[in-house]
Amino acid sequence: MAERYDAVIIGGGHNGLVSAAYLARAGLRTLVLEQRHVLGGAAVTEELFPGFRFSVFSYVVSLLRPEIIRDLQLPRHGLDILPLDGTFTPLRPGDGPRSGGGDYLWRVNDHGRTIRELRRWSKNDAEAYEEYGQLMVEMARFIKPILAITPPDLTSLDPRPLLPLGGLLRTFQQLPERQQAVFVQLMTMSAADFLDQWFETDPLKATMSASGIIGTYLGVRSPGTAYVLLHHYMGEIDGAFRAWGIPKGGTGGVSNAIGNAARALGAEIRTEAPVERILVRDGRAVGVVLAGSGEEIRADVVLSSVDTRRTFLGLLEPGTLDTEFEEQVRRFKFRGSSGKVNLAVDRLPDFTSLPGTGEHLRGAISFSPSIDEMEQAYDDAKYGHFSRKPYVDMIIPTLVDPTMAPPGKHVISCFVQYAPYRLAPELGTWDDQREAFGDAVIDRIAEFAPNIRDSILFRNVQTPLDIERTTGLTEGNIFQGELTLEQLFFNRPVPGYARFRTPVRDLWLCGSSTHPGGGIMGANGRIAALEVLRSLGRKAA
Amino acid sequence: MTNFDAVVVGAGHNALVTAAYLARAGRRILVLEARDRVGGAAETADLGGVRIPRLADTVGRLRPSIVKDLDLRSHGLRLVAPDVRVFAPQPDGRAVTLWADQARTVDGLGAWSANDADRYPDFDRLVRALGRFLAELASQTPPDIKAPGLGDALTGLKLGRTFRGLGKHDAHTILRVLPMAVADFVAEAFETDAVRATVAWRGVRHSSLGPWSAGSTAILLGDSAGNDGGAAGQTVFAVGGPGALSESLAGAARAAGAEIRCGARVVAITSRDNRVTGVALAGGEEIDASVVVSGLDPKQTLVELSDPVTIGPSMRWRASNYRTPGVVAKVNLVVDRLPRFTAAGGQDEQLLRGRILAAPGIDAIERAFDAAKYGRVSETPVLEATIPSLVDPSLVEGAPAGTHVLSVSAQYAPYALRDGSWDDAGRADALGDAVVAVLEGLAPGLASSVRAREVITPLDLEREYGLTGGHPLHGEQALDQFFLWRPLLGSGRYRLPIDGLYLCGSGAHPGGGITGQPGQNAAREILADMKRR
Repeated sequence: MAERYDAVIIGGGHNGLVSAAYLARAGLRTLVLEQRHVLGGAAVTEELFPGFRFSVFSYVVSLLRPEIIRDLQLPRHGLDILPLDGTFTPLRPGDGPRSGGGDYLWRVNDHGRTIRELRRWSKNDAEAYEEYGQLMVEMARFIKPILAITPPDLTSLDPRPLLPLGGLLRTFQQLPERQQAVFVQLMTMSAADFLDQWFETDPLKATMSASGIIGTYLGVRSPGTAYVLLHHYMGEIDGAFRAWGIPKGGTGGVSNAIGNAARALGAEIRTEAPVERILVRDGRAVGVVLAGSGEEIRADVVLSSVDTRRTFLGLLEPGTLDTEFEEQVRRFKFRGSSGKVNLAVDRLPDFTSLPGTGEHLRGAISFSPSIDEMEQAYDDAKYGHFSRKPYVDMIIPTLVDPTMAPPGKHVISCFVQYAPYRLAPELGTWDDQREAFGDAVIDRIAEFAPNIRDSILFRNVQTPLDIERTTGLTEGNIFQGELTLEQLFFNRPVPGYARFRTPVRDLWLCGSSTHPGGGIMGANGRIAALEVLRSLGRKAA
Repeated sequence: MTNFDAVVVGAGHNALVTAAYLARAGRRILVLEARDRVGGAAETADLGGVRIPRLADTVGRLRPSIVKDLDLRSHGLRLVAPDVRVFAPQPDGRAVTLWADQARTVDGLGAWSANDADRYPDFDRLVRALGRFLAELASQTPPDIKAPGLGDALTGLKLGRTFRGLGKHDAHTILRVLPMAVADFVAEAFETDAVRATVAWRGVRHSSLGPWSAGSTAILLGDSAGNDGGAAGQTVFAVGGPGALSESLAGAARAAGAEIRCGARVVAITSRDNRVTGVALAGGEEIDASVVVSGLDPKQTLVELSDPVTIGPSMRWRASNYRTPGVVAKVNLVVDRLPRFTAAGGQDEQLLRGRILAAPGIDAIERAFDAAKYGRVSETPVLEATIPSLVDPSLVEGAPAGTHVLSVSAQYAPYALRDGSWDDAGRADALGDAVVAVLEGLAPGLASSVRAREVITPLDLEREYGLTGGHPLHGEQALDQFFLWRPLLGSGRYRLPIDGLYLCGSGAHPGGGITGQPGQNAAREILADMKRR
């Protein structure tokens, strides 16, 4: 006799858990099935090396929706975001206005200090920075509602779903022309071209543009990368917490908090319960079958938080979907482009441009000396090579959360781009290149902090292939599908199916493959749950 | 002195189209051209005793409605369209050939891949369908979003209907593919790299984009709009070269009463109380007019010619950030015998009549583009060449038998060089040599047949033709300078920020190329405003 639930959710990543919490909160008997022994999907904390705990895949949270934090009372369930202060961009000897060990660019949350620092580089940029910051906050304020709406189908004759767009258009009309123009540029331009309009300082432009390419298979000069710059300003206007922070206990801390909230609201969560197949009877999803045990679990609705390709091409009986739809799913681009290098070290990195273990190590450390080097890193990837001189976004969590490592020791998290999932034939597979990639990252860091080499006690390299194998993210794409213009909003994941519904009745998507895309944001899981509840005629409670 | 209803600055093809339409509506029009001849980039010039299309060579995108409205045939316009649209010789001695006749193209593609031959008709249909929608869009003035009027509502409805007319499938498709990288778009249909590159090329032609750049699909589809181009693109020549088109346009304008003065360089657009009052010429002469129509690019119009105080700092900042990254150079060759392309297998006479494309693969184009990103000239530039003398012998009349002209545009050759300048000794020649080397590789013996050669760098394009940044499209045609926001949001409806100042050139919607569409749309808007007054 198979168990029966109102809703079963495939995947215990942060979005799956958010959906579960909202459904349980509305009184649905909800079950979450996670294949691994830990919750969180790509937002997990694991002890990879005795005494050292790592956010293995992800590293910071900047986008977690404040309404979710409020609705689910996450702080009560253990969510504690520790602010990361500022971004430090080290340079090599000889670079920058200051001579000697090379210069650096260090922006902090203290606006006055940042402006003084920028003035050292360029008076114009210092002035432009103020204006730019205000403008971006305005833009973020305008764009924010989009994160909370369900994308309409422009081709449908039913005007109702278009209404939210109408509202958006009216707000747009009320913006001053210059802001309208800047908004259009944000949606269409490359990060580099966009920033060129304001700034002349190369390391500044390179470091700011970096946020435009994270998780994408695009370069800072590729059109469509400007939009992501906005995300950095979302947090600031929410006022809920700082733009950038790391969760206490690593990104797994976020997942656990959401999981606890879901449980408290009555949801049931099972780990090491991999789903093998979604049960479909007469065109409706009626439950799932677990791998291995073959156990059947029945439910009125099935939500999948795993990515589009795995859901439709992996978990459904072949022939369930029409070939046209399957073709469009195959077309949805993943192309993982980033890797992660996790380090356990016995001492902190010592930068030639700013020696010592000061405040500058407590924020993000961005290895982005120039626009050209950022773009060249992308050029390597375009032709199937990992970057010889990659962009590295380094965080040292132990400086804000010492519990992550034994006393006096540290963990270092390096997000690295580019590492294309598909390598050029002459390179073989990622299993052949893993360590070479890790070496390239260490070499890159050593250009600016030579002591890194001798400080390493343990090194863990996550290639896109590893990310795919462990988390199930197709092609290791951390956003469950590229965030390119043609894969956003009403095109995400498949035109005509951007409203979380699928061609199979009672089967819904709630992961990052859907609008508004990836990042530890939770918006997908929330909106999907609300859509499900609406379809069931239930109140969101 | 006579008083004019409108002064048109520049006599490029769009400016002439606007002038002709305005004159036919009974307005007194004066056209002022800085150079000694009309046509701008649509020019036929002398080289080594024969006639060559100096910059643009084909005129396949010219809107039929313009030919009809202005009765250009009676003003001497003769168009020839060869059967072959594109001949793309590959390094391995094979070729991808796209014909006007779809079936013939499919035949040839079979030799490359059964799949590609099989998918071509559908892809061609899709490009035509989406192209038709974009043609509709191109012929409309973008709606006024600030103060939508009845007209805008109607335009909106009309576009809405055309959009729905696409059908659900194509409607979904266009929303998905417009912002896409053309490399991805062609990969959805074709598996052969050579075929992909041959089709995708038009998505990056004249743009500072590579096939992997987002938005290049919109350019490909725009290039296929309103000219029955389809997946192969159009290839049409004007007998006598593109200059003949310009002459016929000038003829139509004059016949309608417009006055055209060459050698009259406008150095300023004068204005008072945010309203244009006329123009000032290099000689110091001032000409009054309550309407000034600029056929020049928007940057030059707003930043160089307009009064900074009237424009205001914010608009000036925006206009100076309008992107004009020119990456195209032109190399014209006179050869004493018809080139023999290895891949043509002796069929040169027939195969070389269309566009000849040297773009061996998507990555080859992308790598050529990479150089430009760092201010370097590609060592193996992508070439699109034509041999107009094959379809139009009049160009080589009087020259020894076998003489032909090769018109080659070379990409990527950035206007902004990282080191040195295009003026440095040998710089232009080095590019000319690189171009000839690429051709020699595909057509052995070509190099030794060159009798005359001229290299026109992006800097020359700016100096001689007034194209800011050497950009042949009056500014990058990317998603950020498109439709409602071409050239700038708020100025996307042919009206520039000074009352009575209009833009009618390629910097306005729907953008560059020899279409006449911006000129036609601008004339419609100007006449509407004149009636209101």
